[in-house]
Amino acid sequence: MKVNMNTKFLVIPLIAISLAFVSCGGNSEGAKSKESASVSDTVLVSDTVSLSTDDNEVSYNLPSALQIAYVFKKSGAGFVPSLLNDKESTNKYNTNNYKRAVNFGIYSADLAYCLFNKKYQESKEYLKACKNMGASLGLNSAFESDNMAQRFDKNIANEDSVIKIVSSVQLKTDVMFEQNKQKHVTVIAFTGAWTESMYIALEVYAKDKNKKVLGSLLEQLLLSETVVKALKSHQASEPEMPTLISAVENINTQFNAITDVKSAIEKDEEMDFNAMSISDRELKTISESVKSLRTSMIN
Amino acid sequence: MTKIIKPIVSIVIVFVLMAFQGGDVLCNSKELKEKAKMALEPYKYDSSELTRILYKAKETVKEVEVPLFIGEKYRIVFELEALPKQVEVQIYNKDKDSKNRKLLFSSKDMGDKKEFQFEVSKVRHVYVDYAIPQTETGSYSGCAVFMVGYK
Repeated sequence: MKVNMNTKFLVIPLIAISLAFVSCGGNSEGAKSKESASVSDTVLVSDTVSLSTDDNEVSYNLPSALQIAYVFKKSGAGFVPSLLNDKESTNKYNTNNYKRAVNFGIYSADLAYCLFNKKYQESKEYLKACKNMGASLGLNSAFESDNMAQRFDKNIANEDSVIKIVSSVQLKTDVMFEQNKQKHVTVIAFTGAWTESMYIALEVYAKDKNKKVLGSLLEQLLLSETVVKALKSHQASEPEMPTLISAVENINTQFNAITDVKSAIEKDEEMDFNAMSISDRELKTISESVKSLRTSMIN
Repeated sequence: MTKIIKPIVSIVIVFVLMAFQGGDVLCNSKELKEKAKMALEPYKYDSSELTRILYKAKETVKEVEVPLFIGEKYRIVFELEALPKQVEVQIYNKDKDSKNRKLLFSSKDMGDKKEFQFEVSKVRHVYVDYAIPQTETGSYSGCAVFMVGYK
């Protein structure tokens, strides 16, 4: 077919203009949340992320569930298996993006708690729960690459090795969330992991009354302010976000109302959680809020 | 002769249009983080952050808040090789709106070094600031990565 050269001359720049508009318009928050529920592994093949043009926002780099569990374990907290979320419930959470993300975080915290307590069989089961939740978030390849399951089995009695394996999965999931423009999923998952860790710490402290566990618990509660800020930076991403933000804000307010914390804030002093005391009433208020938030997440 | 010139002009227009797409530059997050991970050893991987940097006509600052646990030792590794123009990395103990914040680290004396690290302990927060220099020639962009590890 013969094509007029003048037509060609116009068509090529027009295609370029269209491409420019398409590429600029593909970044909206709404589009992101719609995409994320149906993300597939074919999307994950891409190694690159495109550039956002907003240069005024402050971002938040949240710690991993593994590190929270590590700090908690160092305080001497014991292992109470009945506190873990039911590992068979993964299908129940495959209803929407928020449920998938928050329970991915909860299972990550349970896995980390098992790992640092050398409960390797339980660790394996919770790794499987994470893998199932991860699959629903498009993270299959993070759990399937480098023979992860086989390496985990082979090194199951070696704490350092299994922690390295799980850390490597964590890095892969972080990269995938970034590549898929699902940064908000990372923040929701972290909030799930943080809530689960808080719940475990509160219950373990109620049982043992170990002062060091209380110190570690207060240290984790201090994170609530950053969690709120991180959630607010993605508040339009999922319909459940306003309720979640309000629940974590409530915990943050209760933490700041602890007499010793309030005094340290007023004097602008560094908080020494090992020297601080907290009344039973103050602790009960926080404990009830954390339990209620966790219940809303896992049901 | 016109038959040759017209397609060439078209191709040039395509490239010019692509260059003005609002700084939509692609960053290889996986590759950058894999490099940072190597420099993190023997610290355990905790978290990482990719920050998109857009150079503008005025100097700008992008800040990342990094909460830490006070009893732990940390290493923070920076990978800046995906930046077309060097930015200064500054680490503070308080955020950019605080009056008496203390500078804990600056990459100013490191010249054009694209990978470096910072170790810190006994703090509950650090604030990573990327001081992005102004540019006079259009808008261009890149990305910076840092990775946090604990011992």
